[in-house]
Amino acid sequence: MSDALDLARGALARAAGDALATVTRERSTMLRFARSRPTQATSVDDLTVEIAVLRGGHVGRSATNRTDDAALADCARTATLAAEAAAAAAGEGHYPGFPEPGTSREHGGFDAETARLDPATGGDALRATFDAARRGAASGDDSVAAPGASPPTAAVELGGVWTAGDVETAIASSSGVELTDRVTDAFMKTIATAPDGRTGYAAQAAVASSELDPAALAARAIAKATRPGDLASLEPGDYTVVMEPHAVLDLLWVLGETAFDGLAHAEGRGALSGRLGTSVASPAINLSDSPRFHATLPRAFDAEGVPKDPLPLIQDGVAQHVVHDTRSASIAGGATATTGHALVAGGQAAGPRPTNLVLIGGGAADEAELCAPVERGIYITRLWYAGVLRPTDSLFTAVTRDGAFLVEDGQVTRPIADMRITDSALSILSRVQALGARSVLTADGELYGRRFAAGAVCPPLRAGGVHFSGSASHG
Amino acid sequence: MLTLDLAGNAQRIAAEATELLDAPRCPSGPTTLVLAGEQLALQIHESVGHAVELDRVLGYEASYAGTSWAPADGAGVLRYGSEAMSITADATLPGGLGSYRWDDEGVPAQPISIVRDGVLQGFLSNRESAAEIGLEHSAGCARAEGFARQPIVRMTNVSLDPGRAGSLEQLLSGVERGIYIDANRSWSIDSRRLHFQFGAEAAWEIVDGRLGRLLRDPVYAGVTPTFWASLDAVCSADEWRLVSFTDCGKGEPGQIARVSHGCAPARFRDVQVGAA
Repeated sequence: MSDALDLARGALARAAGDALATVTRERSTMLRFARSRPTQATSVDDLTVEIAVLRGGHVGRSATNRTDDAALADCARTATLAAEAAAAAAGEGHYPGFPEPGTSREHGGFDAETARLDPATGGDALRATFDAARRGAASGDDSVAAPGASPPTAAVELGGVWTAGDVETAIASSSGVELTDRVTDAFMKTIATAPDGRTGYAAQAAVASSELDPAALAARAIAKATRPGDLASLEPGDYTVVMEPHAVLDLLWVLGETAFDGLAHAEGRGALSGRLGTSVASPAINLSDSPRFHATLPRAFDAEGVPKDPLPLIQDGVAQHVVHDTRSASIAGGATATTGHALVAGGQAAGPRPTNLVLIGGGAADEAELCAPVERGIYITRLWYAGVLRPTDSLFTAVTRDGAFLVEDGQVTRPIADMRITDSALSILSRVQALGARSVLTADGELYGRRFAAGAVCPPLRAGGVHFSGSASHG
Repeated sequence: MLTLDLAGNAQRIAAEATELLDAPRCPSGPTTLVLAGEQLALQIHESVGHAVELDRVLGYEASYAGTSWAPADGAGVLRYGSEAMSITADATLPGGLGSYRWDDEGVPAQPISIVRDGVLQGFLSNRESAAEIGLEHSAGCARAEGFARQPIVRMTNVSLDPGRAGSLEQLLSGVERGIYIDANRSWSIDSRRLHFQFGAEAAWEIVDGRLGRLLRDPVYAGVTPTFWASLDAVCSADEWRLVSFTDCGKGEPGQIARVSHGCAPARFRDVQVGAA
C-alpha cells in the first residue's frame, strides 16, 4: 500500500462525519530558456494534503503540506468550520454526499524513466534546441517552409520550456473510496523570435519525456519565424482558416468552459442548454472525453475518486452529453449522475470540466492538404488569451500568435500581422470543411498550483467564414 | 472585506441583473468611453502593468506571458499616452494587495514612476533585470507565490494618478454622447500588450452629461498607445480608489499574484465600442 494512501487514511481519520482526504505528491523539473540561453531551473518536490468535509449539503475544504498529527487535525478542523459556516449562511446545500467506490481501470499514463526526473535529460533537450538553431531550420515546417527560404541564423532567438513531472494522487473517503494513481507528463515548447520580431511556435506533450523531439520543435518554430515574405496586414472580415492542432486546442478549451460544463448546463446558461440531441456542429465532428485514448494524458479517477470513463460529447455533429461532478449532477437532478469530471472534491465553483478531450481526425494528410482548396484564407499556428464574451453562444475572442500566414491559391504565401478572432466556437465547428488525419496531443503547459497536466488530442482543421474583428495594425 | 459592503450592494446588483434581461445591446461605433472601478483597473493592469514588467521587456517571458511593445530604452522618450496619463507603482500603499515591506529579494518596497504626463519613465524590475539595463537598483518588484516558486517580476500596486476633473458627475458633464463601464466580464490582449478587447456584462449610455439607460454586452477594443493617447481627463483624488485582483497569473511553473490598482474614473475619446 502506498505511503500516500496511508497518509490519506490518516488525514481522513482526523475529520468527523462525511469527509474525503486527498494526498497529492508532485515531483517535477522545469528548465526555461530565453534569448537562446537557459534562464531558470526549478525542481519541485512537494506534497499537499487536502481534507473536504460535508455539512448540511455544503463542502468545506482545507489544505496543508505538513503531515504531522497536529497539522492534519488542524486541517480537518478548518475544513469543518468552512463547511459549517456555509451551511449556517445558506441553509441546506446541494451536495448529496461523497461518491461510493467504483472500479477504476489501469492506464498507460506512467513512465518510470520520466519519473526519474533526471535534470540531464532536460539539459540535453536545451542543448539539442540550441544546436538546431545553429544548424538552421532546413528540416522545418512543411506547411509554412517555402522554397528559397532564408536560412535562419544565430540571430534567431529561442525561448521556451522543458518540463517533466511525476504526480501521485491518493484518495480516501468516508464513503469507502480508497484509491491511488500515479502519472507522468513531459512538455516542451519553443518560440523562435526572428530579428524582425516575428515569432514561431512549436510544442509537444507526452507521458514520456523520451517522446519529445527538441530539435524538431526548434526547427519548426524557426521555420515559422523566418518564413520569407513581406508581412501582410489583413482587413477585418470573414476568412477561411486552417488551424494547427494548438489553435484547435483553444476552440476546445472554450467549449469545455461554455458548452460541456454540467453546472452551467444545469443552470441554463450553457451553450448546449436545450440543445442536447440536436445538431450543433458539422457532421464531421466527433468529440469525446476519453481518458485512456492513445496519446492522451490518462487519469484513473477524478478529484472525488470517481473512475474515469469515455464520454461522447458530440457525435456526427450532434450534441450528446455534458460533463458532471457530484454537485452539478445533484443540481441537474433527475437521473443525472456524475461523469467523473470533478476537478476538486465537492466541485469547483466554476463547474466540472473535461480533461481528456479527443477530436477524431479526418482524411486530409496534413496542413498543406487542408490549405490546398483555399483561395484566400488564414493559416493559424495558435491562439492566445481566449476570453469568453457570451457563454451561451460559446462566443469568444482571441488573438493569433507565433505564426499567422496568408493562404493564397492553396499555398501559404507570406506572414500576416496577428489578427483578432471573434466568433462562436460551436459555430466554427459547424463550419468545419475538413479535418487532418494526424491527431496529436496538444497542451498549453500552464501548470498552476499542484501540477495537473492535461491536454487534448486533436487534428488540424479547415473551417470557413471565421470572423476576424481586427488586428494589431487596425485596432 | 467589510468595506466592500457586499450586503448593502446586493439589492442594487439584483435590480441591475433583472434590468439587463431586457436591456438593449450596446450600440457600435467610435464614441466617448468613461471607465471606472474594476474595468479601469483591469485596463491599467493589462495594458500598462504587464507591459512595463522588465523581464517581459527584455524577452525573458517570451515563452509564456509574452513580451512588450515598450522597448527597454524607452524610458524618458516613449510616449505611452496623453498628458493626462500618469502611472505610479507603489508597494508601500496602505491596503493594497501589492503592498509589502520588502520584496522577495530583500529590496525595500518603494514608489516608482512608470508614466509621467504620458511619457514612459520606468519599469517594474527585480535585481537581475534592473542590472541588465544599468539601473542603479531594483524597483523591488520580485515576488514569489510561495516557497516552491522563484521570485519573478510582478506588479505591485500600479495606479493611475488622480487628475483634476473633479467628481464623476463633473467628468460626465463633458460628455454629450458616450458609454460608461465600471465592471468586467472578459478580457483579451496580445502577447506584446498592444491590441486588446474588453467586454462587460453592462454599460450605461451617457446622454447630455448624465448616465442613461442600461446597455448589455458592451465590448471595446483598441491599441495601447492609441487608447491611452485618447485619455483626456481623470477625476480628482476624492474619487480615487484601490481595486484589487487576486488571480494574476504569470511564470512557469505558474504563479498567482494578488495586486491592486488605484484609479479614479477616466474619460477616453473616440474609442471603438460595440456589442458582443
